[in-house]
Amino acid sequence: MTEVRTATLGGTDDAGIPELLLAPPERPWWWRLGSDRAARYTARIAFLAVWQWAGSTFEDIPTPVSTITFLVEEFQRGEVFPNVGISLLRAVIALTIVLVLGIAIGIAMARWWRVRYFFTDLILVGITLPAFIWALLVVMWWGFSNIGPIAVCVLSATPQLVVSTFQGATATPGTLLSMSDAYRVHTRRQFRWLVIPSMMEYIAAGFRSAVLAGWGAVLLVEWFGNDKGVGFRAHYWYDARSFDGMMAWGLVMMIIILTFDRVVMDRVVLHFRSWRVGAQRWS
Amino acid sequence: MSPVAETAKTLEELEQEAIDALASGGRRTRSKLLYSALGALGFVAVWAYFSTVLEPYVLPSPLATAERMWELVISGEAISNFLSSFGKTMAGWAMALTIGIPIGLLMGRYRYARAFFHDFVYLFANVPLLVYAVIALVIFGISPWGPAFVVMLEAFTGIAINVAAGVESVDRGLLAMSRSFRRSGRRTARSIVIPTVVPFLFASGRVSFANSWKLAALAETFGGYSGIGFELEKAFQTFSVVTLFAWMFFFVLFVILVERVLITPLERRVFAWRDPAGSRERVS
Repeated sequence: MTEVRTATLGGTDDAGIPELLLAPPERPWWWRLGSDRAARYTARIAFLAVWQWAGSTFEDIPTPVSTITFLVEEFQRGEVFPNVGISLLRAVIALTIVLVLGIAIGIAMARWWRVRYFFTDLILVGITLPAFIWALLVVMWWGFSNIGPIAVCVLSATPQLVVSTFQGATATPGTLLSMSDAYRVHTRRQFRWLVIPSMMEYIAAGFRSAVLAGWGAVLLVEWFGNDKGVGFRAHYWYDARSFDGMMAWGLVMMIIILTFDRVVMDRVVLHFRSWRVGAQRWS
Repeated sequence: MSPVAETAKTLEELEQEAIDALASGGRRTRSKLLYSALGALGFVAVWAYFSTVLEPYVLPSPLATAERMWELVISGEAISNFLSSFGKTMAGWAMALTIGIPIGLLMGRYRYARAFFHDFVYLFANVPLLVYAVIALVIFGISPWGPAFVVMLEAFTGIAINVAAGVESVDRGLLAMSRSFRRSGRRTARSIVIPTVVPFLFASGRVSFANSWKLAALAETFGGYSGIGFELEKAFQTFSVVTLFAWMFFFVLFVILVERVLITPLERRVFAWRDPAGSRERVS
């Protein structure tokens, strides 16, 4: 490969035109198998093949085909949309609360040192505690209800947003702030152009991990004790000893979070980070 | 650094960075300690107040929880279950290392491998923990191997990503120099490649350890017969909030213990070869 490249870049042909300007040399068809895109598709196909092999070799493990078939049957039974809807609704309500609480506490912690030290240990413990312990506790307290999933989602996702908001609020470029002071830039303008943009990047990243944690928390509570939702449906098939059913609903959980992460959060994070491109030197 | 490594690194590592930024509060003066203590005390006070209002089986008092914890320590259950969970996590980590390091080396060295594993790395890092626990249950049923296996699945991608980043950051100039002085491959690996890669490896371990630990406990509640997760499940089934609280606090204590006793000293040792001014930045 190196040889080809040297010839293309450095050499000239008989007419004295640099080869770079001519059409690229013909390559055999298998050359494309080494491209990034081909590698990714190879990986996906290999993954499905291994899964199918494992499923058909071991009796208990569902195969991709049986999982998808099962999912189609669930669609036909009309179970997918109502359950996905209620889970999403819970997640949206809870994450709205998380957004308000997390940003408020994070900013307060950065602004007043007393608040900071008051909350530090609580937040660190909150990050350490796994969501499923909250889930068990909440199911014992409230049983089947909407409070449980929302409460656990708030409890386990808020600390993550708090830490990154705090980090963002303390990471505002100090040199830029003092320069704005020197040139008598109005406080509101400083906020609009400096403080908020530099914070939003961290908040977006924190919210991304909060969404991941929050979705996991909603699912866990629904699994341990609820009568509606994606997690409940997976647990329903667990009780029925249907591994296909569990796998199918596991797939639904994954598809929802990965789609959201890819389609929404990726862009949000990029959007808030885009101003920084080329601006690192000043921060 | 490659875009792959960067996108996949962001979440967990950013979070760890943020946690570190919060936890490192500078010198601990008396007034700072006072407010930290106020935070903890405030929490306990609110809890104690509500425990007098509500029934004890709904919300046990802090004292009752402490007594229950003491009983569990005396009977040795706390230690044995901790060791059981710890053993599973470590077994999963050992497997993750044996798989993750070779994959990471490939990813750092060959573009094809990086593209090949790109989707897996993204997928395994973002799967909800519940799905992992379900997978453990489906494949292994009631067995200690389920938790270890899913910890492996969850941890190896982080390891691979970080090893790949480490390999990419190996100083090309130093490699060229050792080639021209005709050092053997093994010697180059030992004195250039490994010292560069190990800190990256360690960073990944530190970041994902807490998560692995949570996952191991969760998988135990699904299909285990010992460990912290199993004890939590038992407390849940017997509707004992006191016991659940006790294990919840044990969980926090164990995480802090492992962090302080195991990880921090190890970190200091691994990074000891670097001078405090940050030699890596200067060399590159």
